[in-house]
Amino acid sequence: MVNLTIDGKQVEVDEGSTILQAAKKAGARVPTLCFHPVIEPYAACRVCVVEVAFRGKNDLLTSCNTKAEEGMDVRTASERALRARRLNVEMLLARAPAAEPLREIAKELGIEKTRFPVKDPDEKCILCGLCVRACEQIVGACAISFIERGTDRHVSTPFGEESEACIGCTACAHFCPTGAITVEDKYGRKVIHDEMYLGPTTAIRVPTRQAVPMVPFIDKEACIHFKTGECKVCAKVCDRDAVNHEMEDTIQEIEAGSIIIASGFKTFDARRIPAYGYGRFPNIITAMEFERLVNASGPTGGKVLLANGEEPKAVGIIHCVGSRDENYHAYCSRVCCMYSLKFAHLLGEKTKATIYDFYIDMRCFGKGYEEFYHRLLKEGTKFVRGRVSEITTLALTEKEEGKLIIRVEDTLLGAVRRIAVDMAILAVGMEPSIDHNRLAKTFNISCSQDTFFLERHPKLAPVSSFSDGIFLAGTCQGPKDIPDTVAQAGAAAAEALALADLGKVELEPITAVIDDKLCSGCQICVGLCPFTAITYKKDEGHSEINDALCKGCGTCVAACPSGASYQKHFRDEQIFAEIEGIFLI
Amino acid sequence: MAEKETQKTYRMHLMICAGTGCVSNHSYEVKEALEKELRKHGLENEVVVVPTGCNGFCERGPILVVQPGNIFYQQLSVKDVPHLVEEHFLKGRPVAKLMYSPPETKQPVPVLNDIPFFNKQVLIALRNRGLIDPEKIEESIAHDGYKAMVKALSEMKPEKIIAEITLSGLRGRGGAGFPTGLKWQLVRNAMSTNGGQKYIVCNGDEGDPGAFMDRSILEADPHSVIEGMVIGAKAIGATAGFIYVRNEYPLAVERLSIALKQARDYGLLGQDILGTGFDFDIQIKRGAGAFVCGEETALIASIEGRLGEPRPRPPYPAQSGLWGKPTCINNVETWANVPTIINRGAKWYAGIGTKTSKGTKVFSLVGKINNTGLVEVPMGITLREIIYDIGGGIPGGKAFKAVQTGGPSGGCIPKEKIDLPIDYESLSEAGSMMGSGGMVIMDEDTCMVDVARYFLTFTQDESCGKCTPCREGTKAMLEILTKITEGKGTPEDLTLLEDLAPAIKDTALCGLGKTAPNPVLTTLRYFRNEYETHIQNKKCPAHVCRPLNVYTIDPGLCLSQGHGCDVCRRNCSSEAIAGQKNEAHAIFQDKCIKCGVCYDVCAFGAVKVD
Repeated sequence: MVNLTIDGKQVEVDEGSTILQAAKKAGARVPTLCFHPVIEPYAACRVCVVEVAFRGKNDLLTSCNTKAEEGMDVRTASERALRARRLNVEMLLARAPAAEPLREIAKELGIEKTRFPVKDPDEKCILCGLCVRACEQIVGACAISFIERGTDRHVSTPFGEESEACIGCTACAHFCPTGAITVEDKYGRKVIHDEMYLGPTTAIRVPTRQAVPMVPFIDKEACIHFKTGECKVCAKVCDRDAVNHEMEDTIQEIEAGSIIIASGFKTFDARRIPAYGYGRFPNIITAMEFERLVNASGPTGGKVLLANGEEPKAVGIIHCVGSRDENYHAYCSRVCCMYSLKFAHLLGEKTKATIYDFYIDMRCFGKGYEEFYHRLLKEGTKFVRGRVSEITTLALTEKEEGKLIIRVEDTLLGAVRRIAVDMAILAVGMEPSIDHNRLAKTFNISCSQDTFFLERHPKLAPVSSFSDGIFLAGTCQGPKDIPDTVAQAGAAAAEALALADLGKVELEPITAVIDDKLCSGCQICVGLCPFTAITYKKDEGHSEINDALCKGCGTCVAACPSGASYQKHFRDEQIFAEIEGIFLI
Repeated sequence: MAEKETQKTYRMHLMICAGTGCVSNHSYEVKEALEKELRKHGLENEVVVVPTGCNGFCERGPILVVQPGNIFYQQLSVKDVPHLVEEHFLKGRPVAKLMYSPPETKQPVPVLNDIPFFNKQVLIALRNRGLIDPEKIEESIAHDGYKAMVKALSEMKPEKIIAEITLSGLRGRGGAGFPTGLKWQLVRNAMSTNGGQKYIVCNGDEGDPGAFMDRSILEADPHSVIEGMVIGAKAIGATAGFIYVRNEYPLAVERLSIALKQARDYGLLGQDILGTGFDFDIQIKRGAGAFVCGEETALIASIEGRLGEPRPRPPYPAQSGLWGKPTCINNVETWANVPTIINRGAKWYAGIGTKTSKGTKVFSLVGKINNTGLVEVPMGITLREIIYDIGGGIPGGKAFKAVQTGGPSGGCIPKEKIDLPIDYESLSEAGSMMGSGGMVIMDEDTCMVDVARYFLTFTQDESCGKCTPCREGTKAMLEILTKITEGKGTPEDLTLLEDLAPAIKDTALCGLGKTAPNPVLTTLRYFRNEYETHIQNKKCPAHVCRPLNVYTIDPGLCLSQGHGCDVCRRNCSSEAIAGQKNEAHAIFQDKCIKCGVCYDVCAFGAVKVD
C-alpha cells in the first residue's frame, strides 16, 4: 500500500495505482479527456495535470499515468495546475469547439470563450487518440492511426483509403468521447467521417433485418478474436454475459418417431440460359435479386436503381426462365406468374418506368389471383405474350443505344418484336434443393420424373412417402406457393401427430424373412431392397430383415440365389400347394 | 591490398578535408586535381592525398593540411593546385597566399596550431579529425582506435568501467546532460525479462538547424563511436546495438556502414570479440528526419517501426526501452568521448572543465561570426573566448547582440552575459540550454522578436502533435509572434504570450515541447523592450520586420550624391517610386509594399528606413 496526500487529505492506495485513482479515492475531481479506464494512459491532452511535491521537487505531472508514490503531496487544484489546465483546455477549445465533454470541462474551469482563433466551429476531434488506441490495444486491428504531424495531425486509415485491416467493429466510435467518429451503415459497410470507408461488414451482426430468429451471430471469418485470440470486446461490454466465444458447431443425433422432410427448393441458375445475358450484362437481375433491391433494408433502401444509380425508364419482366422449357425443366414452377405480377405492381408504385411483362400463359389459379392480374392490366403494365428468345445489347437503332434489347415473338401480333429496356428481371423457376439427391438416398424416397420427391399417392396420400413415418412438406415434393406449402406442412404435421398419438405402428402382415441357416451372406438382397430393410450381420455371416421397414414387395425373395429369403404366407411350398389344389379340382 | 597500402610510406601526407561542407565545396575535385598533378611531377610515390573527416573550420573550406608540418591551406580550388604542387610539394616552398590570414593582422599563418580558431580548442570527441581517413580502420587503429575497447574487454570488469565513467563526470552531450555513468548503472541494474536482453543505442538524429557535430564525428571518426558503444555494451551487458542516424546524412551513413563492416572483418564486432567471449553487434537504423525522433522515447518508437512520437516517462528507457527491454541511449558525441576516458583515465578527464560539467563540448559556431565552423572547447570557457578568440568576432565591425545556444529549443543569451562560463548549469540558469551545441551568433542587425518567431516556426513545424500544449501552444505562440512582427500586435498578445510560454514549458509531454518556448521566454526576459517597441510604436528597431519599416528618400542626398540615378525606381516592383534621372526621387507610401529593394540597391545611402 502507498500513502500520499491529495489536497491535504491522506489517502492509502494499492501499489501501482495512479495519482488519478488516488485523487478519485480522495474525492478530488480531476478532469480528463484522453483517458479511458480500459486503455493504457496516453498523457496527451495534459488536462489532468496536478501539482506534485515529491523528493524536494515541485512538478506538474499528468495524473492519468503517473504512479502514486509514498509521501507524494498532490494538489489537484493549485494555482499553477489550474492555470496550465485552463490554458490547455482553452487551446483545445480553439481546435474542437463542438466537442461536448471539452465544453463541459471548460465550463467547469470557468472558461467562457477561447482566446485563440477558432478554425472550424463544427470540429469535434480533440486528437485524444482513444480511437487509435482502442483499435490497436483492444481490437488488435491497427486499422487507423494518426497521420501528419503538429496541427495537421488527424486520424485516418493508411493513405486515407478503405482499410482492409478494419473489421468494422466500430470500437473507434464507441471509445470516441466527443462523437467525432460516427458510424453509419451505408451500402453494407461502416462509414467513418465522409469518405473514410471501413471494412465490408461487422463481425457480429443480425443476418438480415427481417431475420428469424432476430438474434446476432459472430461471423468467425471476420471476428478478430478467431484470428488473433485477442479482443473479446463484445463479451466485455455485454452486461448479460450472452456472448460465448467457445460455442462450436455440433452434430446432434435425435431419436424420432417420424420425420417431416421440408428441404425446400433452389432457384434456377439463369446463367444456364446464355441467351438471356445474366451475368454478362449489367442490369439483368433475377427475381430474388429484385426482391432484395426493393426491400426497405436492402442496399439502396428500397429504391429501384440501375447499376449507375439512375432510375430505370423501362423494365422487362420475363416469365418461365428455366420452367416450361424442354431444354431445362418441362414443369411449370407455379409461383413465377404471381410474383412477376407483384413485381410489376411494385415497379409501378416505386418508379415511373414502362413495365413489360413477357409471358407464355398467365397462370393465376389461386384465390384472388385472377383479380390481381386484371388489376395489373388496368394499371398499364404492357403484357406481351410470347417466349423471349434473347436479351442483347446489340443496338440496331439509335434509340436502342445503351439499352437492353429484348427479342420476343409476340404470338398475339404474330410478329417478332425488339423491345428496349433498362432493366430485365428474370422470373427464375424452382428446382429441388442442392442436397436433394443425398436426402433421397438417406431417406429412401423415390423421385418423380421432374426430380422432386414422389409422394405415396397423388390423391390419397399426398404428404406421405413410401416409408411409414416419413412425410413430405413444401416444395421438396413439387413447386408450390406459400399457401399450398403451409397447407401441406399442416397436413404432414397432423399425420406425424396421429402416429405419435397412436403410440404404435401397424406393420405389414406380409413381410419377407431370411432363413439364416440357408443364407450364404452374399448380400445381393441388401442392395436390392428399396426400403433399406435388409442389413448384413457381419458377425453372424448372414443378412436380416427389419420387420418394421419391410413392405413385403418380394424383391429379395425373387433375387435370393439360395432360396433363403421367403415371403410370409407366400412361401414356395404354400404357393405350390395352392397350385396343386387348383389342379386337383 | 589494404595492408600493402598502409605499409607503404610517403614523405608527405596531404590531408584533404572530405567533410560534407568541404565536399560540397568540391574538395573531391581538388583531390583528383592534386593526384593528377602529383603524377605529372612523378611524386605519386612520395606524396599521398588522404581524404579526412571534417576539420571544423568549414568557413574556409576546402581545407588541406600538409603533414608533417601541419601546414594549413584553405579555400582551395582546382586552379590553385598546379602552383601549389610545384611550389610546395616539389620545391618545398609553402604557398603563403593559400594560407589563412586573420582579418585583424592580414598576416598569413602557416601552421594550423597557430591559428586562433584552432589553438584554443581541446580535442577529445573530435580527436582524430583531419588526421585519419575515416574509411580505413587501419588509420583509426594507428591513432589508438580500439585500444580502449581492448582494455575494457580484457582487463576491466563492467563495474570498473561504469565507475570510471562515473568518476570522469561525463554527462550526456545530447542536451539534457544526464550523468552517463549513472545512466549506465541504471541500465546495468535493470532487470530484463526473457533472456536478459539489453540494448545500446547511439542517438545520431541530429535535428537542430545549424548543428552538425554528430554528423562531423560520424563522418570523421566513426570508429570512435563504435568503440564507445562496445565499451558501453560491455559495461551494461548488452549484446545488440543500434545507431540511429538520419537519412539526410548520406555520407555519415556510408562511412558508418564501411566502418562497421571493417570492424566486423577485423573481429572487433560480432561474435566473441577479440577472443574475449563477448558478443556485440551494431545495426544502422536510418531515420526519416523528424526532429522529434531525437527524443529518446520517440527514437525508440521509430526504431521499433512505430509512429515516431514520444511517450510519457517513466518508465525510462533504462527500465523499459526498445521492445520493452532496458536500453541505454547516448548521443554520438557522448559515445565518442568514452574511449578517451578509458584510455587516459577518469581523473585526467575530470581535470578538464568546471565543477559540475567535465570534459569538452563540441559547438557549431554559426550566424554572424567570422569563423563559422565546428569547435571543441573545454567546459567553463566563456562565451567571449568562443566568439572573439575562436570565432574571430563579428564580421563587418558590427556589435555583438546575443547568442542563441541549444538549437531551436534553446534560448538567447544577451551581450551582458558574454562572460558567462559555458556549462550545463549556467546555461540553463540564463534561460537557455546546452542542447546539442548549436551556437547562433547574432549582431546588432538582428531583431529578437523575429529570431523567436524563426525558431518557433521550426518547433511548430516539427511538433509531432501528440500533446496539446506543444501542438496547439507552439502554433498559438507562432501566430502571436507573426502578428507582432507584422505590426498587428496588441498589449493583450504580450500577456497571452507570457501566459502561454511558461504553461507550455510546464505541461508539454516531451523535451521538444518543454523547451519550445525557450526562445520566447529568453527574448522576453532580455529583450522585452523590443517586443514593446514592436507593439506600441509599430517599429522594428533592427529594421528586420519589413512590414513595420517606413522607407523614405532623402531628396538632398539623392540629388547631390546620386544625381537621381533612378536605380531605385527601376527596381521597384510596385511602381511606388516617382522621379527621373537628375531629379530627386520620392516614395509613395500608399503604394510601397516594403520589400526593401530600394534600400538595398541605393549606392548612396539616400534611401532611409525607419
